[in-house]
Amino acid sequence: MLALQILIDGFAISSLYALGATGFTLIFGVSGVLNLSHGAIMVVAAVIAWAVAGNFGTGPYIGALAGVAASLVCAFVTYRVIVRPIQDSRAIPREEKEIFVLTGTLLWGIMLQEAIAYFFTNNPKTVRPLVEGVVMIAGVRTPWNEILTAGLSWAVIGLLWALVNRTRMGKRLLAASMNPRGLTLLGFEMSSIYLLVWMIYGVLAGIAGVLLGAFLGVSSDNAGTLTASAFSIVVLGGLGSVSGSLIAAYVVGYLETMTAYLVSPSIRTIPVLLLLVAVVYVRPQGLLGRR
Amino acid sequence: MARNRTFLLVAPALIVMALLPLGVGGYILGLLTVAYYTAVFAMSWDLLFGFAGEVNFGPSFLIGVGAYVAALLNHYWGWPIPACLACGAVAAVIGGAVLAVPALRLSGPYFGLITLVAVLMLQNIIVLNAGITGGEIGIDIPDVLSIDETTNYFYAFGFMVVSGGILFGLSRSPVGLILQASGQDAIEAAALGFNVAKHKLTAFCISAFFSGLAGGMLIFYMGTASVGTVVDIAVGVNVIIAAVLGGRRTILGAAVGSIFLIGANEVLRPLGQLATFVVSAVALVVILFFPGGFLGNYLHTGGRE
Amino acid sequence: MRLSLRNILLGGVFGIAAAAAPAQAADPIKIATIAETSAISGVGIPNGAKLAAEEINAAGGVNGRMIEIIEYDDHNSAADGVRAFQRAAQQDKVHAVIASYVSEVVLALEPWAGRLKMPMITPGAASNDITKRVHDDYDHMKYVFHGYLASTQIADAVCEGAKKLLVTDLHMKTAVVMSEDAAWTIPLDAEYLKCLPEIGIKVLDHIRLSPDTTDFTPIFNKIEGIKPDVIITGISHVGVQPTVQWQQQQVPIPMYGVSSQATNSTFWKDTNGATEGVIFNMVSAPDVAVTAKTIPFAKNYQKKYGNLPGYAAYTSYDDVYMWAEAIKKAGSTDPDKMVEAMERTDHVGTIGRITFLPKGDTFAHGMRIGEGYITGLMVQWQKGNPVTVWPPAAATGKMTFPSFIKLPQ
Repeated sequence: MLALQILIDGFAISSLYALGATGFTLIFGVSGVLNLSHGAIMVVAAVIAWAVAGNFGTGPYIGALAGVAASLVCAFVTYRVIVRPIQDSRAIPREEKEIFVLTGTLLWGIMLQEAIAYFFTNNPKTVRPLVEGVVMIAGVRTPWNEILTAGLSWAVIGLLWALVNRTRMGKRLLAASMNPRGLTLLGFEMSSIYLLVWMIYGVLAGIAGVLLGAFLGVSSDNAGTLTASAFSIVVLGGLGSVSGSLIAAYVVGYLETMTAYLVSPSIRTIPVLLLLVAVVYVRPQGLLGRR
Repeated sequence: MARNRTFLLVAPALIVMALLPLGVGGYILGLLTVAYYTAVFAMSWDLLFGFAGEVNFGPSFLIGVGAYVAALLNHYWGWPIPACLACGAVAAVIGGAVLAVPALRLSGPYFGLITLVAVLMLQNIIVLNAGITGGEIGIDIPDVLSIDETTNYFYAFGFMVVSGGILFGLSRSPVGLILQASGQDAIEAAALGFNVAKHKLTAFCISAFFSGLAGGMLIFYMGTASVGTVVDIAVGVNVIIAAVLGGRRTILGAAVGSIFLIGANEVLRPLGQLATFVVSAVALVVILFFPGGFLGNYLHTGGRE
Repeated sequence: MRLSLRNILLGGVFGIAAAAAPAQAADPIKIATIAETSAISGVGIPNGAKLAAEEINAAGGVNGRMIEIIEYDDHNSAADGVRAFQRAAQQDKVHAVIASYVSEVVLALEPWAGRLKMPMITPGAASNDITKRVHDDYDHMKYVFHGYLASTQIADAVCEGAKKLLVTDLHMKTAVVMSEDAAWTIPLDAEYLKCLPEIGIKVLDHIRLSPDTTDFTPIFNKIEGIKPDVIITGISHVGVQPTVQWQQQQVPIPMYGVSSQATNSTFWKDTNGATEGVIFNMVSAPDVAVTAKTIPFAKNYQKKYGNLPGYAAYTSYDDVYMWAEAIKKAGSTDPDKMVEAMERTDHVGTIGRITFLPKGDTFAHGMRIGEGYITGLMVQWQKGNPVTVWPPAAATGKMTFPSFIKLPQ
């Protein structure tokens, strides 16, 4: 009974972690950027979805769409206004671009977070779930919304997989992550590929944010934690490895759930932190990372 | 050339700062007191990043260890302030070394992540042991440095000048050059016969020492130590922004950046909640358009680049 | 910039006042509010204070002096709070401070109130240490007053309500205490564990959760496995999330106790109505005539700011009146005289009759609680509205629960 409960609850939260981290790792894989405004973008998506659905009475679907659109806009701005100018800048030495991108996206994340807090206060919000009610799965009472969250996360991840592996555009993307120089030599414009990745990222982060808002609820104060959690999952899985991130998301999700059930809910994040330290020391390239 | 420029910039600034208590009210002095301690945080961080090339995402781990060790000693055993400060600084160095010895083998984002995790762990330890540490409410400290603003101002000012002098001197010394070389190209530096790891560890310990000491000084000024003041990731983020804003690899720029950040927040206070938004936006603009920061262009034109 | 503009405007007003009453047109009495204004409970502190100041000024002020509220934002940080306090005391020269609903900030400010001899009251922090320090070191800390209940007192109020609501009405016998792992809940939980058995409720388990928790599923499942009749809550940093997940998972056990976020009028909207049936402790509610002042205040507040006041707005409003009375009584703004006059406060405010406990008491400068003074209320969210269910004299409705709740037979 308890085992089943852990299995079901862990699955839902892990799927959400997986979706949240996928976009993050994709960007790193293709363009080498760690986007520290990630959490803030997810928060924007959730809060906009909440506000549109609640204040304009449009219902959850239009609200969710608005949330994803907001995330897309934020992702576009992150790339065009912050990341790209830094990458193109001649004034910044190459070995320091990384810290500039980190600081720049961090500041942008703080701006988004403050703007949300200003317009909508920092009270946590919950997006109205697309479906209500519960269902019994082998004696475990499970909300439909939890099942939907897991299902949608996997559907989106599946679509992404199909896009990358089954379309011409996706293959180009894959190639870019493996060997950007080679692709440039073949005459492809890297900047259009980057733009594409950021757009995909915007959609992924937006969906993850809205689902998170419906499943657990979010506050603008969560932005930092969300970024840190995506960062941890991605490092655990191996920077830039999408499949590694997926596995890592499940490791983190289940480890947290098990700690909460079996040990104590007050230390739920600690085993993950310890695992992270251990992995980084023993196998810095992560579970599935390539070096 | 560069040395002259630095002197021309620093000397008049220090004179003005030393004479400030004659002209401004207690409140401005209190503000600058906090700014000067933050300046030491930022300068320590810059030594590690700007010279050793290591991005430490968790300066508040070192600050927090120093501050909390000092706070606990004073709260429970009533040790005199200097003894608490010394123990705090030593604890920060030990904590820093424990963190750094394995972490320095890592590079780039991995090192950054470990330092970030260290902050989260420290925060968890403090909150979970709320019975001893006061948890998220914080712990009060019976002794303070002084309640007189001018005295506090000079403590902070003196501390900043001495720490800044040592850190700046170090960065311009042969050790600083080796660090810089290892930061930019560790393999080449090692090939030239320098023990890169040893030098980086030294840099980390020095950074830890000043961070921890400044953390202790800050709480003995405030009369309270809490997670939100000395440990939270937001504290570390501010330190990093200050250093990058002021001009990395200049040490002195970090101090300028800190004073600017705290000053700007104050000037923008009438905006209320939007103050943080505006400060972040300004910092972003500086980073995008003047990547050298406030001092970068000024100090570097005569030097390397 | 804004301040100077305001000074000019105020100068104009005083110019007119001066012509009318030349003898009394002295400087305004300045009262500072220090709070996190991006949080709904936080912004209630300056808003409640401003409302009180407007009323007092419209009635002629205090000894002919107008009250001016100066707002500071502490961003929920002790460091910013200390900085704001220093500015208030040393630069803006305020006469009294109304500070924060966060214990961390208030405890950081407390020594400064002593050092700078600045009278201060907190409208919302709950730590027992606030009054304990006044008791332990009266000479230095006497400038601090506690305008809200301490954790232990809150637990007592919750138990008092539970005796009638849970034991008598619903025949409950068992409970699980669920609190966030934080310093303010240590005395709260200790008192829960002591007073619940006294009223006949057996505590089956005591669960402390990390204040960073976002996924409460495991916690609710664990509690459900223990099969208590009720969950007694002690939560503040979390609130929306556990409530929503409680409803989505249809946990069949009612939640009762302290849930600070539930006191916000926006809580219904923030949780999309998931809070239906949640019972929480509050000092005042917008629909209850705790005193004759409560409902008019809530109405005026809503008219002016568009939403109902949170808990700290009521107390902050009362605090301004109490400082005004103390200054009137003392006949000056000398801090020692103000403190001495404040100690003699006997004020009927929006939350009840407020008097402060004497310096010998463990809760020195805390409010006297109990019948005829401050009792606190138990309020339940019902169909979008907070409905008071306890004490019987103030109750405006009966308890109801959503259909997924199973009550003991």
